[in-house]
Amino acid sequence: MPGRQLIMNFPVTATSHTLADYLARGGYQALKKALAMAPQDITKEVTASGLLGHGGAAFPVGRKWSVVKLNDNQPHFLCANADEGEPGTFKDRWILEHAPHLLLESMLITSHALQVRNAFVYIRGEFDLPYRRLAAAVEEAYEAGYFGERILGTDFACDIVVVRGAGSYVCGEASGLLSSVEGKRGYPRNRPPRLTVKGLFQRPTVVNNVETLANVAGIITMGAEAFKQVGVAKSPGTQLVSISGHINRPGVYEVEYGYPLKKFLFDDCGGILGGGKLKCIIPGGISTKVLTAEEIEPLTYDKASLEAAGSQLGSGGMIAIAEGTCMVRLLQVMLRFYHHESCGQCTPCREGMGWMHRIIDRIVGGKGVPEDIERLYTISKLNDGTTICGMGDAAGYATVGILNKYRDEFEYFIEHKRSKLSGNLEAPVHA
Amino acid sequence: MPEIFINGQPVQAADDETVLQAALRNGYFIPYFCWHKSLSIHGNCRICGVQPEGKNWVEIACNMPVAEGMRVLTDSDLVREHRKATMQFITLNHPVDCGICDKAGECTLQDYHFEYNGGRSISIDAKVRSTKHVELSKRIVLDNERCILCTRCVRFTREISKSNALGVKQRGDESLVRASEDGAFDRDAYSDNVIDICPVGALLSRSFLHQARVWYLKPTPSVCPGCARGCTVNLWHRKPEWKLRALDPKQNVSIARVTPLENPAVNGLWICNKGRDLAPIFERARAEQPMLKGQPTDLPGAIAAARGLIAGAKQPVALVSSWGSNEELAAFAGAFRDRFATFVKADHLPADGEPLQDDLLIRADKNPNTAGARALFGDAPAAFAEGTDLVLVWGEGCNFAGLPRGAKVIFLNAYLQPENGHADAFIPISIQTERSGHYTNFEGTVSAFAACFPKPPSVADAEQLFAELAPPAGRRA
Repeated sequence: MPGRQLIMNFPVTATSHTLADYLARGGYQALKKALAMAPQDITKEVTASGLLGHGGAAFPVGRKWSVVKLNDNQPHFLCANADEGEPGTFKDRWILEHAPHLLLESMLITSHALQVRNAFVYIRGEFDLPYRRLAAAVEEAYEAGYFGERILGTDFACDIVVVRGAGSYVCGEASGLLSSVEGKRGYPRNRPPRLTVKGLFQRPTVVNNVETLANVAGIITMGAEAFKQVGVAKSPGTQLVSISGHINRPGVYEVEYGYPLKKFLFDDCGGILGGGKLKCIIPGGISTKVLTAEEIEPLTYDKASLEAAGSQLGSGGMIAIAEGTCMVRLLQVMLRFYHHESCGQCTPCREGMGWMHRIIDRIVGGKGVPEDIERLYTISKLNDGTTICGMGDAAGYATVGILNKYRDEFEYFIEHKRSKLSGNLEAPVHA
Repeated sequence: MPEIFINGQPVQAADDETVLQAALRNGYFIPYFCWHKSLSIHGNCRICGVQPEGKNWVEIACNMPVAEGMRVLTDSDLVREHRKATMQFITLNHPVDCGICDKAGECTLQDYHFEYNGGRSISIDAKVRSTKHVELSKRIVLDNERCILCTRCVRFTREISKSNALGVKQRGDESLVRASEDGAFDRDAYSDNVIDICPVGALLSRSFLHQARVWYLKPTPSVCPGCARGCTVNLWHRKPEWKLRALDPKQNVSIARVTPLENPAVNGLWICNKGRDLAPIFERARAEQPMLKGQPTDLPGAIAAARGLIAGAKQPVALVSSWGSNEELAAFAGAFRDRFATFVKADHLPADGEPLQDDLLIRADKNPNTAGARALFGDAPAAFAEGTDLVLVWGEGCNFAGLPRGAKVIFLNAYLQPENGHADAFIPISIQTERSGHYTNFEGTVSAFAACFPKPPSVADAEQLFAELAPPAGRRA
């Protein structure tokens, strides 16, 4: 495994997700410790740990939490974002399937810190096993008295509701998610107001990614200082990386921040499928910019390093792409996704996604014109920062990332009406 | 009162305002589609972007609360570029079929296209086709290709009319505004307002569909006589300079459509569907022939006969119209207050199935000036004393069978009615669209209406008529 482990630190067995096994691993001890602490001390500890959000934006968790004012005579809400929809990302699924109690314990600690009486988990509708495991875990936790009134004999009370989504990418955006929990159409909301000021049912709400929350219990157990010893200074801790694509050993890996990226790809994941060469990687879900094989050479896996290379950590959904893959067709698949998932609320994304999809379809269909490349750039630019949520920007980043680095493939495709390479997305087999 | 700076100029904003509101109130125009002053902020059209001074991005003004010392630019290069880009997106799949669109001439999209875009589309792909002429209700059709999904109509049914009848189906560029399947939009008594607030020609009125180009019409301010609310409305009819000769000339003196006339004191921005249907109320078959017991006569003859009946009566009773204007009622009071025992009559009663009363606008009293009439003549129910020998009936809604036997009847009415021919003297009178005046609504607010068309020559104006019918001073019986 690449580096130290904070979450995947136990052997997965047929019963490792149950409460009994979790207690045997020392589960719910952090909750006991946290309930003895004052709420603001928990927030202080998490802020001191430097924990960053693992959902994609890498926003400091402590800063998000500290916006919520304690004792302000109104209910607060906590919502775990388990609507893992970013293509290439399946790390939260691992936590929900194998460590659901870690999430629940962390949510209880967070609820105590933020004075939350009602917590929610918004889980992706397509998740079946994760949902059943989580629902069973919630039941176990209620029976054992970790939820409800007077938890562990203290005055702390908390209830949890698991809400299932219905298959929308945009509902993974925090405000769209809250709209969906409220029973409305999953449209993202305009900021201001921020969700930590007016979120679910117009009350202060913290929405955190499942993996982000799962780190909270560990921080309370080991303390902020010990947590900061893992990873690197600016990104402490670890990241669950779900790697897929043209790679020999796809799956979920817990990567300590600061681990060399190339070593991770070639040693831990066994290199490129079929013995091929690496062309590029998408580092954290398709909304982050691609990094070519040369670019990743010196990189370590952490926020500062990837951002210096012009990309992002994203959601940890890494996709390896082998030499010989047609980037035009890759972009077509990506734009088809964005077109399909645009919620249609605000103009630039609603019209722009379909427009880009039609252009790339035309190029792949052999009817591209040279101006189409500029047109894709223009639409990406017009979407940047003009939409309600980040989806318009994300599609633009992805498009511009690929166009900047593989423009020659697009020009070739438009001129010759066929791919410069084999035209395949599947990994070419090398003898 | 925070002070903000728009294009470098100081502007006094209210505490709870947004930059868009403060700008509009102070004469700085920022374009907007989805924002509407009576609806919640949705911020989805993105055209209202302004540039925070010193920054290289735009933010939407409709969702930007003012803060002391805030500095924004509404006319920078970046803002112009942003508007142009947004118009490119909005018109990307819009059919631009202004030539056959009822909204052309008063369309926000058309105006902004000329103002902020002007160029051709940079797209070379085919437009996305969508459903056309979708029947949202019996009154409204929707053209989804023209729809820009600003969701003003959806918000209207949720926040104003509370019918929750409209929503958005599907997603992305296949999103469709649709009515709920339980027929709630058919029952929504305010549904036609969505036609006015639609910034494009997507929502269209069945009754006005392809009837007229708006630039051939002019609005005359008027008051809806449909109920005691007295909503102020615009009656749209052909401009005098655009008279039709070859087509049906009747259209020159008919109401093409009715729209609300904004009036915070009475109806705000809205009117109900009954108010939209004033044309069929006003344009019923008119009575234009003065008659004496069914025998045609001319207007002076009928007036003379009526004057004689009044002069000779010992115990006359008058039933005055609650559709009369304040001026007409005052003229009646001036001429006959001492002569007649006067009662106020309800000209119109609620029709079958008509919404009776609600919290928004509709009132149970279906007459526009009951309050004005009662102020002059009291609110006692009609009673006929023993020996009543003359009844003057003004307006519709009188139960003639209930009048005392043997009493003579003078009837003033504007529409064809069987009773016209039975009256001892029948004098046709003008209708609201042929005269000007004022109504007092149930809250005591007085609103004015103006004449749209000339009255037919053979009918009388009630205001002058009462002066002519009155016995000359000094010879009063």
